[in-house]
Amino acid sequence: MIELHNVTKTFGTFTAVDDLSLTVPGGELFGFLGPNGAGKTTTIKIIAGLFSPTRGVVRVNGHDVVAEPLKAKSTIAYIPDQPFLYEKLTGREFLYFVGGLYSLPKEHLHRRVGEMIEHFEIGQWVDKKAEDYSQGMRQRISIAAGLIHEPKTLIIDEPMVGLDPRSAKIVRETLRQQADRGVSILMSTHSLPMAEELCDRIGIIHRGKLVYCDSREGVRAFEASLDGKLESVFLELTR
Amino acid sequence: MKLFLHILRYKYRSFLNATFDLRSVPMIRGFASLLVFGTFAFGAYFFGHSITAYVLDQTRTGLYLYHRFISMMLFVFFVAVNMGNIIVSYSTLYRSAEVAYFMTKPIPHVTVFLHKFLDNFFYSSTTLFLVAFAVIVGYGTYFDYPWYFYGGTLLFVVIPFMFLAALVAVLVLMAVMKLAGKYGFRTVMGGLFVLYFGFVVAFFRSSNPVRLIERVNRFYPNVDEYLSQLDPGFLSYLPSHWVSEYLFFLARGEVERGLSSAALLLVTVVALFVIVMFLASKFYYRSWLVSLAIQASASAPYDPHKLGLVDFRADGWLKGKFEALVKREYLMFVREPSQLIHLVVMVVLAGLFVLSIGNLNLRLRVTEIQLLTYLVLYAFGGFLVSSVALRFVFPAVSLEGMSFWVVRSAPVRPEYLVALKFVLGFILVFGLSLVVSLASNLPFARFSGRMPLLPWFGAFSAWWMSMAVVSLNLGLGGFFAVYAEKNPIRIASTQGATLTFLATIVFLFVLVVIVLYPLSRYFEFLFIFRPFERSLVILPGTLFGMLSAAVVGVSLSLAVRSVKRDL
Repeated sequence: MIELHNVTKTFGTFTAVDDLSLTVPGGELFGFLGPNGAGKTTTIKIIAGLFSPTRGVVRVNGHDVVAEPLKAKSTIAYIPDQPFLYEKLTGREFLYFVGGLYSLPKEHLHRRVGEMIEHFEIGQWVDKKAEDYSQGMRQRISIAAGLIHEPKTLIIDEPMVGLDPRSAKIVRETLRQQADRGVSILMSTHSLPMAEELCDRIGIIHRGKLVYCDSREGVRAFEASLDGKLESVFLELTR
Repeated sequence: MKLFLHILRYKYRSFLNATFDLRSVPMIRGFASLLVFGTFAFGAYFFGHSITAYVLDQTRTGLYLYHRFISMMLFVFFVAVNMGNIIVSYSTLYRSAEVAYFMTKPIPHVTVFLHKFLDNFFYSSTTLFLVAFAVIVGYGTYFDYPWYFYGGTLLFVVIPFMFLAALVAVLVLMAVMKLAGKYGFRTVMGGLFVLYFGFVVAFFRSSNPVRLIERVNRFYPNVDEYLSQLDPGFLSYLPSHWVSEYLFFLARGEVERGLSSAALLLVTVVALFVIVMFLASKFYYRSWLVSLAIQASASAPYDPHKLGLVDFRADGWLKGKFEALVKREYLMFVREPSQLIHLVVMVVLAGLFVLSIGNLNLRLRVTEIQLLTYLVLYAFGGFLVSSVALRFVFPAVSLEGMSFWVVRSAPVRPEYLVALKFVLGFILVFGLSLVVSLASNLPFARFSGRMPLLPWFGAFSAWWMSMAVVSLNLGLGGFFAVYAEKNPIRIASTQGATLTFLATIVFLFVLVVIVLYPLSRYFEFLFIFRPFERSLVILPGTLFGMLSAAVVGVSLSLAVRSVKRDL
């Protein structure tokens, strides 16, 4: 479960996230939408522990990310929008490395790495160095690494960037499967059709504030009041 | 030419924007940099002046011998600039994304080459200009030279001298790339290394500073007149010799002969520049294509069924986070050719030093000369520690790079990460430092039979110096971290790195000042049998340790704060 209570993040005089409160319970896939610079990535980085909030409290699975960062992080998987990997390590080494950071026992890690390679269909190039990977390959490795320790919470920023249609399908199915298994997922995306298809709830952030948040059904009702498109809802709310 | 100036204009604009940032934090940082640079420049000036005064007045070493020393130092400087440029130029000229971008545009290849070459030269040599100039001012004020000597020497001697080293570097690099297409990159680099090593050994066999000291000691105090026999013929073909000749003849008042040495240097630089430009117009693009082929051929997948020497899959005594982080550090280090090459160069330099001083046989029982020799060896040890730390420890936090999100979002305490990086850096630096430090004390060991204090002092200072210098580099490396830069050499040449190096040198200077008095008393005890109380070392030793411990504490806490910063 992800809980944000009155979270604010400022950079100098600029307020990137403004008094944001939000809860994503276990088993829910929450779509986080917003125009460029709205505060999506900042919010995600605060939850992942990469930014410290200026004000407010963030809890993940009951742990405050500032007061108990290690406990919170051990239950999270963070997948960034730009999947930077270690250029000199192979994909397989990267998966083992990340498993090691979560102190997974070796036997368990061998099994999980095998499962991830099979699930994401990366066996052909997983033993090449990351410096030779395309954006899509990096993204797949990055998501596989995120899931290696079977997290309770998944925070994923723009998961579809650079993915070919087959990889995109694998990722979509994976996210849905994880949510169905009880994982709470906060996914930022610019892809409105994907959000509409996949998410249980959608929130729209604009200028650091959550300007809209409703279930898929609620969103559909709102769409119907306009011209039946999520795009129109988005444009209306972020004008 | 028009295109060249066009690109230069935008690069200059970008440089100005980056350099003259008027926001408060960069301004404060800039002011602090200026202060440190200024202090260091003054230190270099003071060093240049006092060493000249000391050698010429106190030790009665003649002009000729002093300039022979300068020639040797300049040779080492030339080789260092040259090798540094070969390594850095490879990244700049062959692996830069900017070059790849320029190659897709209708820009003559030689223009791209010239830009990157100059970029590289000025980027990596600015601090050296400053240091060299400050030393020259210190040297020149001893002789009361007029103001135009300094500007003229910087513009027409020092910069061309370094430029020559850089020109030779790119010439060698292009030849390497061309040959690598035929014989393979590793073979050619191996051959080049052997060639350089052979050249340096040959130089020091015919012009060895240790042997020079020994011979000088034999003829002391009338040393200058005996030295013509020591001059090997081939030295006169080396640019380092031309620069020292220029200084020597000016010091003797033979201005015309001095200027002719400078003219020889300038003519050589211009000729080599023309040759390099000609070759670049012919071969740069082709050698760039070869570099792409080399990079592509290095991308073959690893055999998943074979366990490597260090392999994440292997079960061993390392466990969990510790195993993951240590193995990652190791693999990323050994798979980055520039890291390995630089480490080998450092180890070889240290080895040469150890071998040389192992044979040092000081015949002269003159306290000042012995103390000076000891301090020079000690300073070299300190310089080695600083250089190794700057090159390998300073970039440690930056090298987490854009992938830092992996560790930062994982359950790893920042203190744990910093401690691990500190220990790894310390093992490397302390290992080298201890060997060099103990070896520096060997030549003096036979004098110290009654109270063998120096080896203990060597080990003590190697320990604290390594602790402090490693943590200083880690802390300031974190503070000045550049996560977007992947190249460790470029990270170690940033402004932050330069400041760190200068701060390290200042710190080492303070340590030398602390130990100078007890050391000089100890040397008097060894050579003129003045009484020496062990209690004399207690206060300076405590001060040495406490100051180092304070630097360790402050630097490591700065490192932890830095890795906790918003990413």
